[in-house]
Amino acid sequence: MSRSDSISRDDLTRLLDVLGRDMRIAGPVKEGRTVDYGISSPDGLLMDDSVSYKSPKEFYFPQAERLMAFGGGTAEEEPASEPFLIFGVRPCDLEGLRILREIFLSGGYSDPFFRRRMENNFIIGLGCVERKEGCFCDKLGIDMRFSDFCDIMLEPDGESYHVEHLSGRGRAALAAVPQTAGVSCGVGRAATAPPPALYLDENADEQRLFGVIDWEEAAFPCRGCGICTFICPTCHCFEFKDSGRDGVISRYRCWDSCMYPRFTLHASGHNPRSARHERYRQRVLHKYLYVRKNTGYTACVGCGRCVRHCPAGMNIKDVAESVMEASR
Amino acid sequence: MSFETQQKELRDLCAALLRDGAVESVIGFGERSDSCCVCPPIAAKREKDAGKLAWNSRCVPNLAPYLPLRGKTAIVAKPCDARAVVNLIVERQIPRESVRIIGMDCAGMTGADGNPLRACAECGERRAPVADDIIANEISSRRELEDTRGEYSAKRFKDEMKKCILCFSCRQACYGCYCQTCFADRVLPNWQPAEPGFGAKMTYHLGRAMHLAGRCVECGACENACASGVDVRYIIRGVTEFIEKEYGFRAGIDIEASPVMQSCSMDDRNVGFWGGDERE
Repeated sequence: MSRSDSISRDDLTRLLDVLGRDMRIAGPVKEGRTVDYGISSPDGLLMDDSVSYKSPKEFYFPQAERLMAFGGGTAEEEPASEPFLIFGVRPCDLEGLRILREIFLSGGYSDPFFRRRMENNFIIGLGCVERKEGCFCDKLGIDMRFSDFCDIMLEPDGESYHVEHLSGRGRAALAAVPQTAGVSCGVGRAATAPPPALYLDENADEQRLFGVIDWEEAAFPCRGCGICTFICPTCHCFEFKDSGRDGVISRYRCWDSCMYPRFTLHASGHNPRSARHERYRQRVLHKYLYVRKNTGYTACVGCGRCVRHCPAGMNIKDVAESVMEASR
Repeated sequence: MSFETQQKELRDLCAALLRDGAVESVIGFGERSDSCCVCPPIAAKREKDAGKLAWNSRCVPNLAPYLPLRGKTAIVAKPCDARAVVNLIVERQIPRESVRIIGMDCAGMTGADGNPLRACAECGERRAPVADDIIANEISSRRELEDTRGEYSAKRFKDEMKKCILCFSCRQACYGCYCQTCFADRVLPNWQPAEPGFGAKMTYHLGRAMHLAGRCVECGACENACASGVDVRYIIRGVTEFIEKEYGFRAGIDIEASPVMQSCSMDDRNVGFWGGDERE
């Protein structure tokens, strides 16, 4: 076999077959009228340019995750679940995972549940061929074809894929399969994108941003449904729920959404963000200002999911741009 | 007649209404920000804002949930929006005199792919049943209505539930879900287990379907809002068809009607817990 930095679709399927012996494979699959991340055999995975309506964050931060169980005087941490091989993760979503890692694992507290998923899961990234409607990753400094935040990165090139390993595990995986062992990669491809054009000054005064645009008017269409937060690759707010059965209490960590009025409801009955536009403002400023103040990252990767799926036609890019312009 | 001529007529009418002070604001559709987006609802408050009102095949959202606004409000209403407004009036949620219904003759809306939305493909309503103004459009090519109902079975219900992620977007988009605290959000009693499993989904969807008995106007806002592609409307339609069959009632058609599940008549057939006629 001649050395090349490309593999065919058949070789890729073979690679997935071999890796699938030790890990459950998840990737974009067709579910009725939508594309979602699902558990699938390699043949069932979509290897084209279609994008799932949800982000892959659920494999790191599940919608409802049992953390521990207690009862009868004992408490037990939930054991680690079998790792996933996540196929076909887009560069925007990979950058989203990078931001989640920063949020969950850096600072004063490192989340053990997120950390073990980060350590155990294996990611194969897949570059986009075309920009989809509603996408704006270019405005956030993200290369739609490449990200190094994965184990193996594939860039579609006609019927084959340019392949790059970006971790020791990625390199070992490629070497373990005869069809991909001869591939020359690791030539050090790096993401190339112009610097972010859409960002807020991290020293901006929050109180001032509350007044630079008419938030009530900007948020008028919002129904507070929260679908934007569920499908977002970087939204990460959660709540805890306990549920008991047969004397055993299970503690779950569940996705929550700043778009819900109960999100900030105090036990006293007071709600600091009682109006819908205040909750929408929180979502925009959390992404573009607060996470940036805390970690240096803008917590939006321009994947366009919230733009495509908003039932009220709202566009966070336009709102963030108007805040950026008005705050200059 | 086309969307463009209707849009011009709509803008002229709304400019006049706002200029003369006949209404304080107009709830309508704004221009969409991207080709994949639906037209976002806007509130036009000044005469010049009337020029921002859009009318095209992507005016998808139901505008009735945006009522009430302060003062008399005009609402740009597709037939389904108008039915929703009528049912809000019937249920005493808004006073009749607070709203001016601008009925838009409608041939159905489309998805981002240009195909008719499922609810629209099955809808035969072309004109608002109750309206204060009509922006007419001769809809000549009367399409054959599609029937995508399919079977009602436990398997299909379970398959649909697999897709649901319990985000409650369908509820938020629904004009009829105006409870201050939804039963699904209640803490005492807590109807929702922590895991978003089949039980939690069934409780929510069947509970919601029952709460919408005789109130659903088939606008499809629930299924249009669902990013997961769940046939939310099909779950409720069984209930809607039952109400129509047993009580001859369709929500939002008659502004003088009493809400069907809140009233009783000596002529009502007993279809309650005992299995109705089968008992005798």
